Amino acid sequence: MDAAAAERRPADSFASQIAVSVKDVCMSFGTVHAVKDASFDLPKGRFLTILGPSGSGKTTLLRMIAGFDRPTAGEIFINGQPVSAVPPHQRAIGMVFQKLALFPHMTAAENVAFPLKMRRHDARAIPDKVERYLDLVRLGGYGSRRIHELSGGQQQRVAIARALVFEPDLLLLDEPLAALDRKLREEMQLEFRRIQKELGVTTINVTHDQREALVVSDEVIVMNGGEIQQKARPVDTYRTPSNAFVANFIGVTNFIEGKVVAIASPNVTIEADGMRLSGTVSGEKLALGSTCAGAIRAEQIRIAPKDSQLEGLSTVVEGKVEDCIFEGERVVYEIRTEALGGARMRVFDHDPESHLQFGPGDDVRLGWNARDMHVFQK
Amino acid sequence: MTGSRSKSIVIWAFVATALLMLSAPTIVVLGASFTSGNIITFPPEGFSLQWYSKIANATDLRQAFFRSLIVATICTLVSIPVGTLAGIALAKYRVRFARSIQIYLLLPFTIPLIGSGIGMMLVFGQMGVVGNLWPVGIACSVINLPFMIWAVTASASNLSPDLELAAANCGAPPLQRFLYITLPAVLPGVITGSLLMFILALNEFLVSLLLVDARSVTLPVQIYNSIRSIITPDLAAISVVFIACAGIAIALLDRLVGLDIFLKSK
Repeated sequence: MDAAAAERRPADSFASQIAVSVKDVCMSFGTVHAVKDASFDLPKGRFLTILGPSGSGKTTLLRMIAGFDRPTAGEIFINGQPVSAVPPHQRAIGMVFQKLALFPHMTAAENVAFPLKMRRHDARAIPDKVERYLDLVRLGGYGSRRIHELSGGQQQRVAIARALVFEPDLLLLDEPLAALDRKLREEMQLEFRRIQKELGVTTINVTHDQREALVVSDEVIVMNGGEIQQKARPVDTYRTPSNAFVANFIGVTNFIEGKVVAIASPNVTIEADGMRLSGTVSGEKLALGSTCAGAIRAEQIRIAPKDSQLEGLSTVVEGKVEDCIFEGERVVYEIRTEALGGARMRVFDHDPESHLQFGPGDDVRLGWNARDMHVFQK
Repeated sequence: MTGSRSKSIVIWAFVATALLMLSAPTIVVLGASFTSGNIITFPPEGFSLQWYSKIANATDLRQAFFRSLIVATICTLVSIPVGTLAGIALAKYRVRFARSIQIYLLLPFTIPLIGSGIGMMLVFGQMGVVGNLWPVGIACSVINLPFMIWAVTASASNLSPDLELAAANCGAPPLQRFLYITLPAVLPGVITGSLLMFILALNEFLVSLLLVDARSVTLPVQIYNSIRSIITPDLAAISVVFIACAGIAIALLDRLVGLDIFLKSK
């Protein structure tokens, strides 16, 4: 092997590990930007979820990767090859549609066999392969059923088998679980995860369900207004959101509005209604004197009787219980804090011992740690 | 209580009258065809199949019937590709001037048959093809095409646009997507439309009358010609055969695709 080839190898092997690369992709309809300058790399075998509210551009981005729409700017690379000029039927991508789009005039097995026939696989091997993939999605023996004879969950599984049977480079999931009831949806989330791990297929999932994004993915991209807000592991997306949108979209978050009065990165002090609070900078840069928002998760606030000391917590404020809601595994308190200009704070109490220890009208103390309050530009 | 009861009596009486009115001609013809007498009467005198055996042996009637079948077949064969493609295009794709095209395709419906019949008589007469059966088939296809298009669009508009995308995603190029996915999905509409076109062409009288000559008389025209000379029960027998053909087509439709799609089609 010559030296030049040996030198090239690390770069090549890095590039060959990237399954999908999206570079500065835009999609505009006239002056409306559905997707704006989206860029990310997805290594092979990873499960990525694109999370965002409706209209955030997540489905448009997915459709461009599938080849149904062409980006108005930028380029998408699959296995290092630019694909903008490649029509959808020539891309090796499996997709599960939101409404499944199973072929109603075919049986389950015919649906699963269709990609193999269209992609000219060896006809003799098709029945075995179809059976194997129906087994994989736990539908062994259901092959001869018509689509309308299957339950919602079973149809879901047929759609997954059809998307995977030809061993695509990439699996796309366009909110296929959105229409299912909660129990079935949670079951199918774990099923997606199991199948994805079993086959190791690179997967991009699109959803507006933050729980699903956290449960199934290796990585999460949060989108809003056509722009990527953050790309991180689920745990990092949750713990260190990069801006106020992400903090608000994932989890239940309280925002305290204030002004930046001191910065010693990563520590920051803000003033809200005359009260000084310490927090941490996460992501965005902050300017001294600018208005900002301190974000703190409902479960990171401790609630205690008004005479308790709440030792070890850097911030303690007084409040009055306005409402308490019993949700089974936790109690949700709505607290009004006069010290913070009458701001209403939502607090989760997960302690099974202390359930419902406070009622409406009780005076309480709230406390949290400075590192749990993320301060964002307003 | 009494109010709702008298209401239901009125409604039932209305329904029964309507049903009787609708089926009366058929019943009269059916009864008259089995008469053993020599003139059309209802109720029939006695029972015999003599008029059926007479029409079975009448070569002119039999030939006219076969000509009608040929006309209906030509009409159906022409309508299937034209109506299917037009129906799918109008329902599924954003065709330019889709609305104008739709109205244009419905024109044959609004123009009196005698008008379009004379128009086609002039055209085919100029071409010097009157006397052949195929112009009659094409004429039937033109005037009845809206039925075919309706039947197909009713099927096609239920079709999810995702289906073709899913087929593309499965690796199917455009032609295969159409053949394996779109076409089978609209097939119930195509079957409904085809049978409808067949029956309508089989029964078509006015336009046929203008486009046939002595060599190419179709059955409805033949019956009309016979009425002008003498009304005998064999005409009732032919009518029954006619009704039976339509009945078979409807039964076939029900077996193949179910009547609900036909009844629901817009």
